[in-house]
Amino acid sequence: MAEKIYSEIPMRTWRWLGVNEARVADAVLAQDIDDVQSLSVAAGESRELTVVYRQEGQGRIDVKVAEGGSLKLTVVQLLPTDKRHASQVAVELARGARLEAVAVEVGAARSVSKMEVLLQGDESRADVHVLYFGNEARQLDMNYVLVQEGRQTEANLNVYGALLGQADKIFRGTLDFRHGSKGSKGYEKEQVMVLSGKVRNRSVPLMLSGEDAVEGHHAVSIGKMDENKLFYLMSRGLDMAEARRLVVEAAFNPVLDRIGDEELYGELDDYIKERLADE
Amino acid sequence: MENRKKTFVEDIERTLYDIRNEDRSAYKSQAGLTEAVVRDISARKHDPEWMLERRLESLKVYNSLRLPTWGPDLSELNIEEIVTYVQPDAKMAGRWEDVPEDIKSTFDRLGIPEAEKVSLAGVGAQYDSEVVYHSIQDSLIQQGVVYTDMETALREYEPIVKEHFMRLVPPKDHKFAALHGAVWSGGSFVYVPEGVHVDIPLQSYFRLNAAGAGQFEHTLIILEKNSSLHFIEGCSAPKYNVTNLHAGCVELFVGEGARLRYSTIENWSRNMMNLNTKRALVEKDGIIEWVSGSFGSHVSMLYPCSILHGEHARCEFTGVTFASKGQNLDTGASVIHAAPYTSANISTRTISKAGGKATYRSAVKVTPNAHHAKCSVNCESLMLDDISRSDTLPVMDIQGDEADIGHEATIGRISEEAVFYLMSRGISEEEARAMIVRGFVEPIAKELPLEYAVEMNNLINIELEGTMG
Repeated sequence: MAEKIYSEIPMRTWRWLGVNEARVADAVLAQDIDDVQSLSVAAGESRELTVVYRQEGQGRIDVKVAEGGSLKLTVVQLLPTDKRHASQVAVELARGARLEAVAVEVGAARSVSKMEVLLQGDESRADVHVLYFGNEARQLDMNYVLVQEGRQTEANLNVYGALLGQADKIFRGTLDFRHGSKGSKGYEKEQVMVLSGKVRNRSVPLMLSGEDAVEGHHAVSIGKMDENKLFYLMSRGLDMAEARRLVVEAAFNPVLDRIGDEELYGELDDYIKERLADE
Repeated sequence: MENRKKTFVEDIERTLYDIRNEDRSAYKSQAGLTEAVVRDISARKHDPEWMLERRLESLKVYNSLRLPTWGPDLSELNIEEIVTYVQPDAKMAGRWEDVPEDIKSTFDRLGIPEAEKVSLAGVGAQYDSEVVYHSIQDSLIQQGVVYTDMETALREYEPIVKEHFMRLVPPKDHKFAALHGAVWSGGSFVYVPEGVHVDIPLQSYFRLNAAGAGQFEHTLIILEKNSSLHFIEGCSAPKYNVTNLHAGCVELFVGEGARLRYSTIENWSRNMMNLNTKRALVEKDGIIEWVSGSFGSHVSMLYPCSILHGEHARCEFTGVTFASKGQNLDTGASVIHAAPYTSANISTRTISKAGGKATYRSAVKVTPNAHHAKCSVNCESLMLDDISRSDTLPVMDIQGDEADIGHEATIGRISEEAVFYLMSRGISEEEARAMIVRGFVEPIAKELPLEYAVEMNNLINIELEGTMG
C-alpha cells in the first residue's frame, strides 16, 4: 500500500522509537473531504470556526489572524472506527492575535493529525487544548508544533488522553522558541490515563530554544487511573465501570467544557461513555 | 574602566589539558579504514582468531551502515583521514617510574598518580591506543578482583571476554559501534567476584595525544552477585587543528543485587568527535548509577543506556553538559524497563553559552511485561546568552497499564532577580552569576568524586570567564 510521510517532528531522534514521522496512505490523501478551509480573521475581529470530520479522507484548515484578532477553533474527529483520517491545521498569529483551539480525536481506525501554530507577532497568544481517546486497536498519531517567533508571546498546550483496548498512540508536542522571541513563555502538559495492559503509548514533548530570555516548561505524566479516586467513588455506591467512567469524564472536562456547541458536546460525551461501557 | 575579560578570552584557557607531547609513537596504522588496516591492528595485538573474525565482521557492518539521520552534523568527519591505531613508544608498566618521562609527566599534570596514592584502589592509564600503566591494590587481588587492560584480559580471561565482548553493544547497533568493533584497542577489564565490595574507586584515564588519530578503547566491567564497585573514567586530549575521533565502548554487566557507580568527566579538546557508546545490563535487585559530566569535544553523541533486565533493578542517571563556543553536545540517557518493578530516575542539567549547542535527548521504554515500572525524568536547561541553543528531545514509549512515568523539563536563563538579590548583598555581578550557575549544577557536582567535583567547578569558572564581560 503506497503511503507518504505526512508529518515529521522538527528534530529527529532514534529510529527504533518510530516517532520521527507519520505516514498516511495515498488512498486517504486522495480524498479531500472539502477544499482547504481557509479563513482570514481581520484585525480586531473575533471569529469562531468549528470543523467536525465524520468521513474518510484528508481535511485541511488554514487560518491567518491579523493584529489584535482572535479565533476560537474547534476541530473534532468523529469518524466511524473502521475509517482512516488525516488532517492538518496551520494557524498564523499576527501581533496581539489570539488563538483558542480545541482539538478532539476520538474516532477512526487510524488517524494522523498535525497542527502548526506560528506565533509570529509580538504578544500573540495560543491556548491549545487537546483530547484524545483510543480504544480497541485504533491508532492515533498527533503532531503539534507551536513556534514562538514574536516577542512576549505565550503558548500553552494542554493535552488529556485516555487509552484502552489495544490502542496505539503517539503524541508529539513541540514548543519552539525562535531567536528573538524575547520575553516569551511556553507551557506544555500531557496527562495520559492508561486503562488497559495492551495499549502502547508514545509521548514526545520537544522543547527547542534559540533564545535565552524565555521561560519554557513541559511535563508528561503517564499512569493508570488513580486507585484512590476509584475507591472513593466505589465507597459511595458506584460500581467499578461507573467509577471508571466518571474518572475519565472528569479528566476530559477541561477540554470538553470548551466546546460551545451543546449538541456536539453531547455527542462526544455519549461516544466516550459508550466506548468505556464496551470495554 | 575595568577590563572586561570577554575581550581577552577568545578561546577557553585549557593549558593543563592542551599541553602536547611530541608524537613519539612506535607505530601508526595507515590513515583510513580498510581490511588491511584491521588485519594489521589485529596481528600487532596478537588477537585470537575469533577476535580477528569479529573485527572483520564489524568492518563489513561498518561499510554497510549509513551515518545517523538524526543528531549533530558529522560531515566534518572523514574516516579516510583518521589514524585508527597509534602505538605509543612504551610498554605497559606496573610502576610509574617505568613509564616514559613525557607520558608520565602528562599524567602527573592530570593528577592521576597523586589521586592513586590518596583515593583510588587501582588505576589504568591509556595513552593513544594502548594502556601504558595499570595497577591494583593487593588486597583486591586477594579477594579475586581483576582490574587490567583489555589486551591482558583477552589473553588471561579469554572465555569471559569472548562471552561478553560486544554482547550489549553489537556492531550492528550503529555505524560507530561497528567502527569500534573493527579497530578497538586498549581499555579496561574489571571483574568483581560475588559478594566482594570494592570500597575505594578504580579509575581509568584515557589520553589521546596524536593529532588526527582515533581512540577506540573498550571497557568491560562484570559485577557478580551482591558485589559493588565505583569506577571512574576520565578523558582528555590536547587541541589540534585536525579532527580527532573517539568511539569508545563501555559494557557493564551488573549482577543480581550488585551495585555499580560509573562516573565520567569528559573533557576532550574542541577538535574531538566524541561518538561513544555506553550500555549496562542490570539483573534482579541490581543498581546502576551513572554520573556523567560532558564539557569537552567539538561534537558529542553520548547517551548511556541502562537495560533493567531483572525484577527491582534500578537506574540512577545524573548528568551535566556544558556547551560553549564551537561545541555541539548532544547528550542524554536511555532506559529500557524490561522486567517488573524496575525503576529509574534521570536528572540532567545542560548549560549553553557563546554559540554552543546543548541537546538533551532521551528514551524511556517500558516493555509489556515490565509491570509496576517507575521512571522519573527531570531535565533543566540554562542558556547564558541569545546566540546559543538548547534543545530537549525526550521520548517515552510505554506498553502496559501498570507503569508510572513522569517527565519534566524547563528552559530559561539566569534569573535577573536572583542576580540583583545577590548583588544587593555585596556580591559582584560576575560572582553572583557564577554562584547561580554552580548552584544549578550542584545536584550533579555532589554526586561526583571530590576531585572531579573540584575539576568541574574549575571548568565552570574557566568557561564563565569568557561570558561575563
